[in-house]
Amino acid sequence: MVDTKTKDKEVIKKLEGLGNQIIQQINKGDSPTVELPVRSLGNIYFDQKSRTIKLGDKVSERQFLNIAHTRKFMQTALVANEIKKVINQSATVSIRDLYYALKHTIEGTQENTFENQSESDPLIEDLEASLNLLREELHLAASAKGIIAGNMVVKDGNDTIDLSKMGSGGWSVPSNVEEDRVEIKKMDASYVLFIEKDAVWRRFNEDRFWQKNDCIIITGRGQAARGERRLVQRLNREHKLPIYALMDADPWGMYIYSVIKQGSISLSYSEEKLATPDTKYIGLTVGDVDKFKIPKEVTIKLNQLDLKRLSELQSYEWFKHKKWQAEFDLMREKNIKMELEALSKKGIRFITEEYLPRKIKDEDFLP
Amino acid sequence: MAKTPDAPEKAVKPVPAKTETVTADELAKEFREHSVAEFFKKNKQMLGLSGKTKALTTIVHEYVTNSLDACENANILPDIDVQITELGDEYYEITSTDNGPGLTKETVGKAFGQLLAGTKFHRLMQMRGQQGIGASGCSMLSQMTTGKEVKVVTGNSHEVFSCDLSIDTKYNQPKVSNIVHLTKKFRGTIVKAQFKEMKYINNEQGPLEYLRRTAIANPHAKITFTDPAGQTIVFERTVKKVPDKPEEVQPHPRGITVDELLNMAKATPSRKTNSFLKTELDRMGDTALKEIEKQVSFDLNKDPRQLSWKEIEEIIKAFKTIQFIAPRTDTLRPIGEEQVEKSLKSIVEPEFLSVITRKPSVFSGGYPFQVEAAIAYGGKAGRKIGEEMRMEIMRFANRAPLLFDTGGCGITEAVKSIDWKRYGIRDAETAPVTIFVNLISVHIPYTGAGKQSISNDEEVVEEIRLSLMDVGRRTARYIIGKEREKLKQEKKRIYMKYAVEVAIAVGELTEKDPKPIEHKLLDIVSKRLKLDEQQEKELEAESDEELEKEIARLSKQEKEANMGKGAKKKKGEEAEEGGEE
Repeated sequence: MVDTKTKDKEVIKKLEGLGNQIIQQINKGDSPTVELPVRSLGNIYFDQKSRTIKLGDKVSERQFLNIAHTRKFMQTALVANEIKKVINQSATVSIRDLYYALKHTIEGTQENTFENQSESDPLIEDLEASLNLLREELHLAASAKGIIAGNMVVKDGNDTIDLSKMGSGGWSVPSNVEEDRVEIKKMDASYVLFIEKDAVWRRFNEDRFWQKNDCIIITGRGQAARGERRLVQRLNREHKLPIYALMDADPWGMYIYSVIKQGSISLSYSEEKLATPDTKYIGLTVGDVDKFKIPKEVTIKLNQLDLKRLSELQSYEWFKHKKWQAEFDLMREKNIKMELEALSKKGIRFITEEYLPRKIKDEDFLP
Repeated sequence: MAKTPDAPEKAVKPVPAKTETVTADELAKEFREHSVAEFFKKNKQMLGLSGKTKALTTIVHEYVTNSLDACENANILPDIDVQITELGDEYYEITSTDNGPGLTKETVGKAFGQLLAGTKFHRLMQMRGQQGIGASGCSMLSQMTTGKEVKVVTGNSHEVFSCDLSIDTKYNQPKVSNIVHLTKKFRGTIVKAQFKEMKYINNEQGPLEYLRRTAIANPHAKITFTDPAGQTIVFERTVKKVPDKPEEVQPHPRGITVDELLNMAKATPSRKTNSFLKTELDRMGDTALKEIEKQVSFDLNKDPRQLSWKEIEEIIKAFKTIQFIAPRTDTLRPIGEEQVEKSLKSIVEPEFLSVITRKPSVFSGGYPFQVEAAIAYGGKAGRKIGEEMRMEIMRFANRAPLLFDTGGCGITEAVKSIDWKRYGIRDAETAPVTIFVNLISVHIPYTGAGKQSISNDEEVVEEIRLSLMDVGRRTARYIIGKEREKLKQEKKRIYMKYAVEVAIAVGELTEKDPKPIEHKLLDIVSKRLKLDEQQEKELEAESDEELEKEIARLSKQEKEANMGKGAKKKKGEEAEEGGEE
């Protein structure tokens, strides 16, 4: 694995560069400062060419001698140093491992360097963005969350795994699915169905939906993590499989879809490596209620939070397509949302035997 | 705003016709015989003697005020000792001792046994709040509630004697009995009287607080108090000079009522109204007299004793149209900044104190007045009620503490109208702050006969506000200085502890020795803090606006420092990538 070693050296060089820059500032008697790209809604844009969210060029300074930044500055230095140690040990750790490795009591105080994982996670993203590195290149992994099943065989390290023989549990998607880790050996599916919820995925797996429909079913169990997103991107790019998303008909489900398709705001710096712009939204939509004669009583009234989120979604550049705007308008007009499970009202197999085949046949998607 | 009780309703009802005729003489006699006692009983409230705690405080006030006045008149530094002993349920004995000039057998009766006998009545002079109801009123109350005489021991320059004292209510005459000459050496007066239907409570309106405040406003007096539990508290003298005697002043034409001028006219030795006005009123010149001459319907050569109410009214009306020179203000006797500072330091023991005695001013065109104000901040300032801290407002009129009717008082209004946040005092109501306001005037605009609050006169309230703003600014500067220092220390602490962590991490990262990095980083920290300090010095806030800005800046920095300490900050961004645990 010469490639990995070279890459590691390059990453360590970048991390040391950050350290040397701080030392130079200190030697000159300046307040140590690191420049970081701003990772917020104000500094991202939708790139028409790649059809993904991208990070803008606004940077902010994190200064040691600014009382509001001091702690974060200290933490940034600690994170950079800890990542270097991990790489030197040729290990891969979860971001939770890293948090615990970083956490210690500051000498002479009762204060910890990190009180909560929510303090270290954004700093990892800061480093990824400012050094232009992927999380995997930093030897960091998010805990596995996604599950997948279907007519496909992969090689994970030295193990060959047939994803059509994973029983009721499915195969757990590893956090690093780069080619050097996960190799796709055999592919017999014609499309990928990305399902928002775990319970619905299990329903589909129990019915062996993937076998009957020649597809792969995958879920991120809520918001999709990097592993499943990258894997889906590979299936789309390398095997030209269409990706269909099956989500709750509410602003939250629709946003999860948009993260799979165009990327997220906080990871905007690496969306070209994660997003799958060809993804299509199969359902649910508020329009389905009439189309499939779904009884009113299984719909849910929108609450204040839903309405607020709906307005935010409607204002995002990547949701400006008129079909989406029409869907949002309809949702607001009908003032309802709907969960995937609601379709069970029409029969347990309604979703797999009627809803999806008809949607796919009619190509009744949202872009 | 007068709080004088309304006349009883009975008085206005038609009296039933009687068959017997009663002569006017008989009626007059009956009226006279019952007058004093009846008046007293009916007006207990007006005189500040109703309410079980209030009564006790008022009695202490009357005795102490008498003693202070007597001592000052004789140019003696007052040494006053008050003792309250509990004799039974709601039954107390009060003993008040002073080192004043003492009384004679002729004056002792007047002093303790004749209502409305005070010498100060109707004099235009800066006085403590008392109208001669005083000590005799207490004797009356003692007699009414216990039936006992008041015991007095007094020593003047040539004799020392003790006696018992009571009041013949029929004729409002003192009865002095049981006079015993004593051979011991003593100068001063001891009065010992018993009272029922009272309650000793140690609160903001109790005798102890009254004496504490009296001591604050009279730093030349030493006051000792022994409470019913036998505990003795001494308020030491902080100033060793008897205040200058107040001067009696002539009324200013713009500060006199029809009734007052009529009384003066009746008693004047002048033969002509014009000479009466010129000699007995302040700032009355020939030009003004000519102007009055033009406006009134009678000849100013008229005998003033013959002037009718209507004619006096004409004169007063004319006064209002004339520009007079403002009244003399050099007769006012403030306590003095230095004196107030000494006593507040000694009694309140604050962390920071600022005092101002404003220049004299005039209200209603004719009454000279002056305001003294102080803010005592931190330390033992403020008033603890249970576990809670409360801002303490000490009101005084001519050095006499005002303990009651807080709400309707112009001083309270002035204090409440100040936006204390602008002066660095957050949560003013619960701040460790004692506010002192002494209003000085020959004519305190009281709101009622109880004399426990002053009116909301615009000119007076504004002057009090200006005084408070002045001491407020000084307090703000102190608080700012303190906050800056606190913030500096806090910043230093934060930078230092993180500097060590940064040095270790960066050292390891670059494979260099962390120790020199740490030293250099700490150098950078101290240089920055010094620079900050210099900049702050250049930016010394002067105006209210600048003070306000500086206070806002400091509280923002404080918040940031707290955040820097690792307090959790809510992410303003959208929740996403939630699965990455």
